[in-house]
Amino acid sequence: MSNQKKRSFQIEAFKHRVVVDPKYAERTWKIIEHAIHEIYNHNASGLSFEELYRNAYNMVLHKFGDKLYSGLVTTMSAHLKEISKSIEVAQGALFLEELNRKWNDHHKALQMIRDILMYMDRTYIPNTRKTPVHELGLNLWRDYIIHSGKIQSRLLSTLLELVHKERTGEVIDRGLMRNIIKMLMDLGSSVYQEDFEKPFLEVSAEFYKVESQKFIECCDCGDYLKKAEIRLNEEIERVAHYLDVKSEAKITNVVEKEMIANHMTRLVHMENSGLVNMLLDDKYEDLGKMYNLFKRVPNGLSMIRDVMTSHLRETGKQLVTDVESSKDPVEFVQRLLDERDKYDKIICQAFSNSKTFQNALNSSFEYFINLNSRSPEFISLFVDDKLRKGLKGVTEEDVEIILDKVMMLFRYLREKDVFEKYYKQHLAKRLLSGKTVCDDAERSLIVKLKTECGYQFTSKLEGMFTDMKTSEDTMQGFYANHPELADGPTLVVQVLTTGSWPTQATVTCNLPTEMATLCEKFRSHYLGTHTGRRLSWQTNMGTADIKATFGKGQKHELNVSTYQMCVLMLFNNYDMLSYKEIEQATEIPTSDLKRCLQSMACVKGKNVLRKEPMSKDIGTDDAFFVNDKFTSKFYKVKIGTVVAQKESEPEKLETRQRVEEDRKPQIEAAVVRIMKSRRVLDHNNVIAEVTKQLQSRFLANPTEIKKRIESLIEREFLERDSADRKVYRYLA
Amino acid sequence: MPPRASKRKTAPPNSSSVTSSDGRSVFSKTKTKGLGKIDRLFNSYANSSSGEIDPDGIVALCSDLGVDHTDVRILMLAWKLKAAKQGFFTQDEWRTGMKALRVDSLSKLKKVLPELEIEVGKPLNYEDFYAYAFRYCLTEEKQKSLDIESICELLNLVLGAQFRPQVDSLIEYLKVQSDYKVINLDQWKNFLRFVQEISFPDLENYDSSLAWPLILDNFVEWMREKHS
Repeated sequence: MSNQKKRSFQIEAFKHRVVVDPKYAERTWKIIEHAIHEIYNHNASGLSFEELYRNAYNMVLHKFGDKLYSGLVTTMSAHLKEISKSIEVAQGALFLEELNRKWNDHHKALQMIRDILMYMDRTYIPNTRKTPVHELGLNLWRDYIIHSGKIQSRLLSTLLELVHKERTGEVIDRGLMRNIIKMLMDLGSSVYQEDFEKPFLEVSAEFYKVESQKFIECCDCGDYLKKAEIRLNEEIERVAHYLDVKSEAKITNVVEKEMIANHMTRLVHMENSGLVNMLLDDKYEDLGKMYNLFKRVPNGLSMIRDVMTSHLRETGKQLVTDVESSKDPVEFVQRLLDERDKYDKIICQAFSNSKTFQNALNSSFEYFINLNSRSPEFISLFVDDKLRKGLKGVTEEDVEIILDKVMMLFRYLREKDVFEKYYKQHLAKRLLSGKTVCDDAERSLIVKLKTECGYQFTSKLEGMFTDMKTSEDTMQGFYANHPELADGPTLVVQVLTTGSWPTQATVTCNLPTEMATLCEKFRSHYLGTHTGRRLSWQTNMGTADIKATFGKGQKHELNVSTYQMCVLMLFNNYDMLSYKEIEQATEIPTSDLKRCLQSMACVKGKNVLRKEPMSKDIGTDDAFFVNDKFTSKFYKVKIGTVVAQKESEPEKLETRQRVEEDRKPQIEAAVVRIMKSRRVLDHNNVIAEVTKQLQSRFLANPTEIKKRIESLIEREFLERDSADRKVYRYLA
Repeated sequence: MPPRASKRKTAPPNSSSVTSSDGRSVFSKTKTKGLGKIDRLFNSYANSSSGEIDPDGIVALCSDLGVDHTDVRILMLAWKLKAAKQGFFTQDEWRTGMKALRVDSLSKLKKVLPELEIEVGKPLNYEDFYAYAFRYCLTEEKQKSLDIESICELLNLVLGAQFRPQVDSLIEYLKVQSDYKVINLDQWKNFLRFVQEISFPDLENYDSSLAWPLILDNFVEWMREKHS
């Protein structure tokens, strides 16, 4: 370009003005106006889209956009006024139909007009910030039709009336409704809300208020819930069919509030049909309905939960404090298990297994199980009963299920160490009397306890099993070494390690000579292989099988306790013995001896002895004879097994005392452990930590903890901090 | 603690042993002379065979001072002397104590008693004195607690003047309760804290969930029951 000479171009303006024909705009407009009329009169087919578009385009191009726009407004408005009148005169049901039809017409017309005026829409309107054609059309419709005085309220009341009709069971034209509602929605969400939704919600609230009042007076809880559910589903369906989807949440809120929230309390506490009745009668369906409905309202579920909890606690409390049921421990525990099963099922089936409800169940059980201080004992007795005889013929899986359920109850106990003590006692009796039906079940339970409470809890119990096994081996060794004894009475000894088994006082008892020598032989054999040990015979725990021949030649094998054996063997040498003589010879403690004689002389079917006088009680002057007339259907007769029984009062006190004593060192150990690791700690935290550490065994009493701390201070394990008296220091 | 008889030096005669050519002998003479007066005072009450002032000697001392031998001021004196065994003063203890008091005669000793009371009353000293009072009463080796009777007397003696109502109630309680037959040092120390810190007799600011010994928790409960 650089070579070329620069020549300035000059564009000269037109020397003459181009005057657009002033009538041009008017003429063009008239064409368009006419077209609009035709469109509204359903005569659009004769129009040329291209021509109209060009005309509109030219008008805008030649700066006649204003005229075009304002013309449009005027024309359209005029038409709409006409339309409005025709709608107003429509009668009854035709009103909505006419409205609908006219709306469709207008909508179509609007499309066409917008297409024609597209150029204006795209250039003139953005520049002038005026409302686009389509929107303009909607606004005008809104202003001239929907908000027209004669139409607005009539429209609303018609719509609401239709809804009401449908609610009262009539069928309505849903398609028409849908179209009208869609029209309102198209006109803008504020139109929909102001002209329909808000009043709709108000009217609905009123409707449901009235209806719920009516229902609550005449229905019982279950029926009411059913009706409420139906209504709720209805409304949801209504929205799906012909309302804006956003209305669903709002209308359901209304129903929930009016039908559920407002009557919640009354429903729950309704006499004879409320929540408590449903729980008692296992009405799973109704409970499920209640759960699903109440879930929707604030505090609904917590109300159900609270009522259930307080009811459960009340029934539980009655269960455990009932004097009658306390008489039979097995029954007691069974009822607890049944109650738990019941609620488990309810929560599972009706409350969708909700965790919060499970927690409420657990906390309630924990509350009332511990109201009865004998619960640990009873649970142990229940297990004892099952392991002795209750599990015959039950499959292995069922055994596991029962034991798992028992473990659930065990978890609720606060005083687990009391349970341990009783369990040990009962287990000892079972093992020693050979009364466990199922070794596997026993082991299984020990494993469960170990998983729950740790190794320490079960180490002694396991020790008991070990002792039994070891004793078997010892006996084999004994007889292997002493083949000459094979002909005499068979001795079976169980050697019990003192620490593992419940402590027993050693008692006096003179064994018959044959047994005494045999026992001595065993003692020397045992001590020969185990030096440094001490053996003491527990004659109060043994059993014996003896063959007896009675007066008429009846032969029987009697299974008796060691004490009973000692007494019976005396009669080999004497026909008659007085109580005093028996006492002297055997040296068995008085109360045990009396019980022993009672079981042999006063119990029908087991009366191998005869007593004079024939009273039920043993007096010190009574005389005893072998009962020659003794008969029994069976060859083997069992007399007086040592069954684990509910403790008597003094025994109970003693056990409790022992438990308390055992707790002291445990508390001290916990305190020392905590102080050793923390070195310095204030009083309240010590109490809190100790309680937490011992929680799995028992609930530690703060006063007791304080006593132990003071004892430790005295023995110089701890000291009080000199500056802050609330703080303790560990003394290494 | 065993009496320190074995470690005791024999009482040196008055001034004759220590002489030196320099002027120091004058001082030492004065010192030993001062010591002499203290020793003489000591000897006037000491048991000649044991070489210590024994209970009889203390009784005599008290009457000369015009003070009852159960008076708390004698306890204060013992504290000042750091006497190890109740009812006895060794020569060492005597010497140390008298020197600390700057006293070498009976009249001076009498005069210094009120000062001693004030000194004991100072907070730091008082706590020490209070604990000392307990330990002083322990007679057996390895003894760690005192029986209730002795405790009551001691409370009266040590705290009675200043905290009469508390002491009276506490003594009453100690006599009727049966949880504790003896009181140990820790509990004793807390008695002092109690009378110093807790408002009486309303006991408003007592919080049993704090680290007060159990015996005081029980005492407070007993008081509250009595007054309800």
